[in-house]
Amino acid sequence: MGEHAVEVDGLHVSYGPVPVLAGVALTVPEGAGVCVTGENGIGKSTLLRCVTGLHRPDRGEIRVFGGPPGTTPEFWRAVVTTVEPPTWYPGLTTREHAELVCRAHGQDPEAAGIDEALDRFGLAGHADAIPPSLSSGQKQRLTLALALLRPSSLLVLDEPEQRLDTAGRDLVAGLLTEYLEAGGSILMASHDDGFAERSGVHLTTMASLAPVPAAP
Amino acid sequence: MTAGSSAPPVVRAGPVRRWIRRTRSAHRDRGESAGTAYLLVFLAVVVGGLVHRYLRAVFWPVAPNASALAGVALFLVVLGTLHPALRRLGPVALSRPATSWLLTAPLSRRVLLLPALWLAAVSAGGAAGLATLAIVGHVAPRPVPGQAEVILPAIGALAGVGVLLVAMAAQAGRRRAAWLDGAASLVLAAGLAGLVVDSAVDLPPAAGAWPDDTGLLAVAGALALAVTTGLVAAVRGLAGTPNDRILEAAATAGTLLDSAHGVEPSFVTDLVQRRYWARRRLRSARLRRRVPVLIAQDLLLVRRRPGRLVALAGAVALPALLASAPPWLLAVAVLAGGTVAAGTSTATVRTDAGNPVLLRLLGLGSRAAIAQRLCVPGVLAALWCTAALTVLRLLDVLPAGPWWALGLVLGPVGAVIAVRRARAGFVDNGLLPIDTPMGTLATGPLIGVVVGIDMLVLGLPTVLLIAVGGPLTWAGVTGQAVAAALGVWAYLRLTTSPRRVDL
Repeated sequence: MGEHAVEVDGLHVSYGPVPVLAGVALTVPEGAGVCVTGENGIGKSTLLRCVTGLHRPDRGEIRVFGGPPGTTPEFWRAVVTTVEPPTWYPGLTTREHAELVCRAHGQDPEAAGIDEALDRFGLAGHADAIPPSLSSGQKQRLTLALALLRPSSLLVLDEPEQRLDTAGRDLVAGLLTEYLEAGGSILMASHDDGFAERSGVHLTTMASLAPVPAAP
Repeated sequence: MTAGSSAPPVVRAGPVRRWIRRTRSAHRDRGESAGTAYLLVFLAVVVGGLVHRYLRAVFWPVAPNASALAGVALFLVVLGTLHPALRRLGPVALSRPATSWLLTAPLSRRVLLLPALWLAAVSAGGAAGLATLAIVGHVAPRPVPGQAEVILPAIGALAGVGVLLVAMAAQAGRRRAAWLDGAASLVLAAGLAGLVVDSAVDLPPAAGAWPDDTGLLAVAGALALAVTTGLVAAVRGLAGTPNDRILEAAATAGTLLDSAHGVEPSFVTDLVQRRYWARRRLRSARLRRRVPVLIAQDLLLVRRRPGRLVALAGAVALPALLASAPPWLLAVAVLAGGTVAAGTSTATVRTDAGNPVLLRLLGLGSRAAIAQRLCVPGVLAALWCTAALTVLRLLDVLPAGPWWALGLVLGPVGAVIAVRRARAGFVDNGLLPIDTPMGTLATGPLIGVVVGIDMLVLGLPTVLLIAVGGPLTWAGVTGQAVAAALGVWAYLRLTTSPRRVDL
């Protein structure tokens, strides 16, 4: 079981009487990427939340790098997720958020390439802005920039292409490919098959992950 | 769908408002309004019956007990407090639905906004008039000379409306707002300084020289003329109130209502904070390399609040106001002040407690995070308490002893209280209510109020040391230091974990 970044088996999740995931099984090998597709409400985000330990499933087994998903600092040093909407520290600029993240992971901000990353994501002109003042697309770019700046072994991304323009999608797809080439693993959900293919991940549908489809 | 190139005619706002009122009341049960009115009258009678003695003591004690300086200082405090209160509320505001549907409709802006202006004028005038009546009650000799108990409250009410006009001027222009708000802060600071001087010098209650009615009437007349002129100009310029200011005020009013409805004060705190930072123009700074990352962040954020630091520095004299109060109250005031000083640097804790997304991104354990987050608030509280106790010692309110050292060891106490309050997060309205003979008591808000205050117990040695009244010894300081250190250790041990990221 140690060679997989993510292993999910027999996962069952219900919201009240409504089953959302029924017997879902999924494997993401280390150094590989998997993109889950499917229509709205089929349970993609729920699956990602379970994998990151943010939602407790009714039944089933989930292992991330051979261990249960948890709330420990070690887990969150290995895993980065954009499943939840971001919050921002009041009074801290865009660049300072990036520096804070780098410093917390023992990185030298200059060596980590903060300014290059902001520039690449089209945020260089907003380095002194506070994140709440950015547009929704710029906030999404900042979230992804922060996720990719810090060291990690697994990215769990919920529709990373959301709110990005075409150039932004191409940029993120290229960066995700680089992340995989550097040995990282990716589990993501997306509605854009083309974006997922350009990111170098393997596409799979939610329907194919469950032997018994969940009732609508 | 109707479309056309010509602008639609301006519609009168009155009939639209009446239609809305009629339609809304049609949805209510006929008995409902009568029931509400009955409840309000009943409440007023019961509460009035219960507290009329206290009200009399507050507004009109048997004998005057404050000096003329205290009276003038209190009046300045009233005006200096009224301005920021009105500014927070608008003062020209509409309800949130009205901003969505009426502000964007072709209605007369002036007529739409007039009711808000009158309401604000009556409220500001009423509040300032009542406060002035209470001040006159405490200062005026007995029997009150001439008609002072009528003329002075009238002057107070007019001054209240004057403050409203100033607040409206600040609402209309951002440039003016900065210096008008600054001037109001100066008025408040002057009033507080007057109170501190009065308390330190212990001036006797006012007696003898008292302005005659003619002079007071002349002042009232001049003020009435100025306020009326100002009001006329304000009504004329009402339609020019910028939309963004009205929307901002509507959001504030709506948030206040949400906050009151959900018994959740953090809605207002967050709104005020968001607006403060949205108006600031920042330049990215480098975080200090030699200190842990979260301490570096807190240091940077504190450096960005110079105004708050100046206000805190000015407030170190405030405990001196309680020089003649019971000593335990003085001790609690010092602890509370230290907590407020520590709270200058706990917004980051509130953010992390509300949503730990960033803590997960940082990958820090809750124990390491809280240990770092306690540092800057601890230093602020220590400095504040040291300064406040030193002032009290210099004014001879406290006996001899190393009070500065006691202030320093109170730092961790203030930090723990402030951080615990910041971590409390939203009020839990899902908790079981308690049924009492007087009605149902919601436990969530009750616990929300108490969280953090319970940690005042860590300052118990200080309360005892001040209450006993003897000279302070180093043994006393050591006792407080041990209590503070044990408190921080237990707080970290019991409420955080190195194996958990979430606070």
